[in-house]
Amino acid sequence: MIVVGIETSTPQTSVAIGTDREILGSVSVAGKARQESVTPALEQLCGWTGIELSQVGGIAVGVGPGLFTGLRVGIETAKTLAQVLAVPIVGITSLDALAFSVRHTHKLIVAVIDGRRGEVFFAVYRALPGGVLRGSDYSVATPDHLSAELETLSGEMLAVGDGAILYKTQLEELGSRVEFASTIRAHPEAASLVELAVPRFLREEHDRLYDVVPMYLRKSDAEIAWDKRERGAGA
Amino acid sequence: MLIEIETVTADRTREVGRALASMLQPRDTVVLTGDLGAGKTTLVQGIGRGLGVEDHVASPTFTLVREYTGRLDIAHVDVYRLDRVQDVLDLALDELGGPERVLLVEWGDAVSDLLPEDRLLVEITTERVDAETRRIVLRPQGRSWAARWERLEQVLDPFHSPDPRTLDEAAP
Repeated sequence: MIVVGIETSTPQTSVAIGTDREILGSVSVAGKARQESVTPALEQLCGWTGIELSQVGGIAVGVGPGLFTGLRVGIETAKTLAQVLAVPIVGITSLDALAFSVRHTHKLIVAVIDGRRGEVFFAVYRALPGGVLRGSDYSVATPDHLSAELETLSGEMLAVGDGAILYKTQLEELGSRVEFASTIRAHPEAASLVELAVPRFLREEHDRLYDVVPMYLRKSDAEIAWDKRERGAGA
Repeated sequence: MLIEIETVTADRTREVGRALASMLQPRDTVVLTGDLGAGKTTLVQGIGRGLGVEDHVASPTFTLVREYTGRLDIAHVDVYRLDRVQDVLDLALDELGGPERVLLVEWGDAVSDLLPEDRLLVEITTERVDAETRRIVLRPQGRSWAARWERLEQVLDPFHSPDPRTLDEAAP
């Protein structure tokens, strides 16, 4: 089974094609024009690997938490592909993908993604044979708050993700029991999505197309407290 | 701290914007408030000119966001038409433009919780006695603007005297 992975939760866009046995090709691009690179990257990968889209059996897409602008492009591209090719889709969180990429450890895994505005998205994981088990909610907090939260956990930790790198100083306050994963693991990779998604496709645990939406941890149904607009509109 | 200026023409308001632009730094946030038609976009046009933007700067009321490239990039946002906090979050204000951009938010005071704490507040009001006259009040919020305040006062000082060209026109 051939799976396409699309990951756009962070300033690095990543696209991969793989099977249950190997990653056939993967491309990662960081930078300003990254959102425009999803479709060209997939096209390139198809060319390089000789895979045609008609052979693709499933789409795996990163659903965040992360940056809205990238997520919207990645998720819409993935859903369009799934619909046009009539193949199943699986949404995977960016934090799960990050934690999965460093799963060969006995330490607690703390996946941390920069959420901008001085906040991070994070979750805590424990490695299990073959994968990771999430032991916390997906959360959004300031780095200081995260640091305080981790202070309450015992044992050694492995911090992974661009948020962990950006706020290394705050997390280092926890002392030597925190280790930082390599910068090549700073962003969730589409190849991880493929690896995580394949067993779900084989077990037919797909997501419904319309259920695949960006994960908004800051979601707010609150109304804007307009006190001037009415007066302004009448002027 | 507060700077108060009066302008009597749109051109003069643009010049204030242009002078203000010389004080802008990457990642600055400027919050513009004032009634519809008060001249928020006019001031932004001046800021755009000051930052070397060549494109025409138009109101973002119906597009929500307009982005321009200049000495610093500009993300010009208007939240007037939005009703929910989620709508503003969806604009992803932090993700607009590159690291060298300034964020100019019309009606931003209504969503101040969602904006960086360091910001310049600019309020434009129309005087009841004279429809042409605009009163522009600038207030700093946060350390970054407080540190620049004295310099900003100097830069905007010429605008405390009447526009010389207006005087010329008034002359017989």
